[in-house]
Formats: sequence, structure tokens, C-alpha cells
Amino acid sequence: MNGENKENLKELFAKFLSVEQAERAVEDVQKAERILGEHPAPAPDDALIADVKSEIAEAILPRQVNVFRRTAYKTAVVAAAAIVIAAISVRLLDIGGGKHERVTYASIPEALWDSDDISADDVELAIFTAEIEQIEGEVLTLQLGENGGNGQAAVAELEMELIEISSNFWER
Amino acid sequence: MTKSDNLARIIIGCKAGSAESFSQLVDIYASRFYGYFYRLTGDKVVSDDLLSELFVKLVAKISSYKGGSFESWLFKISSNIFHDYLRGKQRRRKLLEVRKRQLESRITEVKKSDSERVDKLQIQLEKLDTDTRELVMLRFYSQLSLKEVAKIRSEPIGTTLSKLHRGLKRLRELMER
Repeated sequence: MNGENKENLKELFAKFLSVEQAERAVEDVQKAERILGEHPAPAPDDALIADVKSEIAEAILPRQVNVFRRTAYKTAVVAAAAIVIAAISVRLLDIGGGKHERVTYASIPEALWDSDDISADDVELAIFTAEIEQIEGEVLTLQLGENGGNGQAAVAELEMELIEISSNFWER
Repeated sequence: MTKSDNLARIIIGCKAGSAESFSQLVDIYASRFYGYFYRLTGDKVVSDDLLSELFVKLVAKISSYKGGSFESWLFKISSNIFHDYLRGKQRRRKLLEVRKRQLESRITEVKKSDSERVDKLQIQLEKLDTDTRELVMLRFYSQLSLKEVAKIRSEPIGTTLSKLHRGLKRLRELMER
């Protein structure tokens, strides 16, 4: 069984014994080890091996839970640190920036919100409303067939015009 | 992949908590360590317990393995487990003195059941003192060099060599009778 460690024996014994004694000692050791090799110990039962493996699995479980817990704690600490740093950074930038800028919703034209001239806005609104009403009247006339020519094409054209006017109004 | 590369890979797996890697270690070492415990105790039931204890301890201690000879490290743990068992046995012996009559009958029963499997070598091994028997078994089952064996036993190599020679010579004489 232990062939790997035989070569150093003679040399080792020679450090403490005479050459002859060392040779005899090596012989004693080798013969006894041969006897040991000829009498193998019983092997463990398969059931024992299975038990050992299941015991290991049980022992590993709490370890894995601890590892998970430790990882979760670390992640929580890092996340909390990141939030604190972000909050401090925002505050510092705020102080450094000075003037606050109003946040506006991108899809609403800024001009509409910035306008202080309510009367001018009302006039524009009145013009648009009138235009829309006029076009709606024309559409109705065409649909009722009161006007000659290509009615369907004219209706489509007017509808497009209506949509365009409506869009222009909200872009202002 | 060499044997040591494979072992290193398994150890890394064990450190990561892989049950599969531990299972591979059991497959590699169970027979050797079982033989070691059996030859020291001469008792299958005790050997079963000590082998289980070894692998459960391995799970707990694997993170403290920092390289070097893994087998040497494992045999050091095994040796400690055996010594703990001996200490426990001594405590049990003291208890025996108190409840001698009650327990003696039980022990006789245990010995009888175990003796069915005891071979000639086991009988002769038990004639050696515990320390010598442990040294002989450590050397035989660990396959470690005498230098490493001496290190595990925390004694000078000359002492280990002398004890081993005396023990093996005596064992040989006993077996050849």
C-alpha cells in the first residue's frame, strides 16, 4: 500500500543506525508492511457510505443558508451605501447648481405652459375653433351630397386638413 | 487531468459547498479511513461512527484547509478524532467502575458480536500499545513519508522512526508465531 514512501527508509535509518542495522530495520519494516497488505481491513458497507453522504448533505445545508444570508446582508449594505451616496450627490449637485429648473412633461408644448398672455391665447383658440367649425360644416355638406364633384376625395382632404389644424394647435 | 489536479478541483468544489464534490471525496477516501479506524479500534460499529464523524468534520473544517498535503491534513483530523474517541472511552471506563456489574454484561455482548469478524492481524495488533498501533496504522494507511508522519504526531523524526521500527518488528514476530 505504501510503496511511495519506501525509498527514503534506508537513508533515514542510516542517520540513526549503522549501515547493517539500517538494512535490517528496513527489512523488518518492509516485511511487516507486507503482512499488513496481506490482511486488508474490512471495507465500509454501502449503507454506511450512503449514510455518510446524507449526513454531509445535511451538514452542508445550514452552511449554504449562512452563505446566502451573508450575501444578502452584504448586498443590503452595498445597496444602502449606494442610496446614501446617491442622495448626498444629488444634494451636493443641487446646492452647486443654484437655480431650480422646472420639470415639464415632454409631450406638452412648453410654450403653452410658459405663455403669460391669456388674452392672446384666447384669440388663437377662438380662431382655431372657428376654422374647425367651418371645416366641419364643409365636411357635412359634402357628406350630404349638396356639393357636386368627387365627394369622397374632398372629404378625405378636409379631414386631413382638420387633423393638421388640430395638431398645429397643440404644438404652439 | 492528473490525480492531484482532480483532487484540487474536488477540494475547490467542497469549499464552494458542493455536495457532489464531498461525495467524490467520500468515494476516494472512505475505504482507507475506514481501514485506519477499524485497525485502531477493532470495532466495526465504532469505525462506522468515526468515519461519519471524520466527513462531517471535513465539511465544517474544509474552509480552514490552506493547501499543502491534503491527505496529511485529513489524517491529522482523523488522528484527533481517534484521540477524542480514546478520551471518551476512558470516561466510559470510569463510569464502568461505578456501575461495573450492570455494564460489564453489555460490553461482553458487544465484544462477542464484533469478534465474529476479527481476523488474526486484528488480534495481534491489539497486543501493541495504542500509541504504537496508531503510528503503524497512520504510516500504513496514510502513505505519507515518515517526515510527514512525524509532523502529524508532533515528534522528532528519530522518535517516529524508532517507534515504528519497534512496533512493526513486534507485529511481525507476533504474526509469524
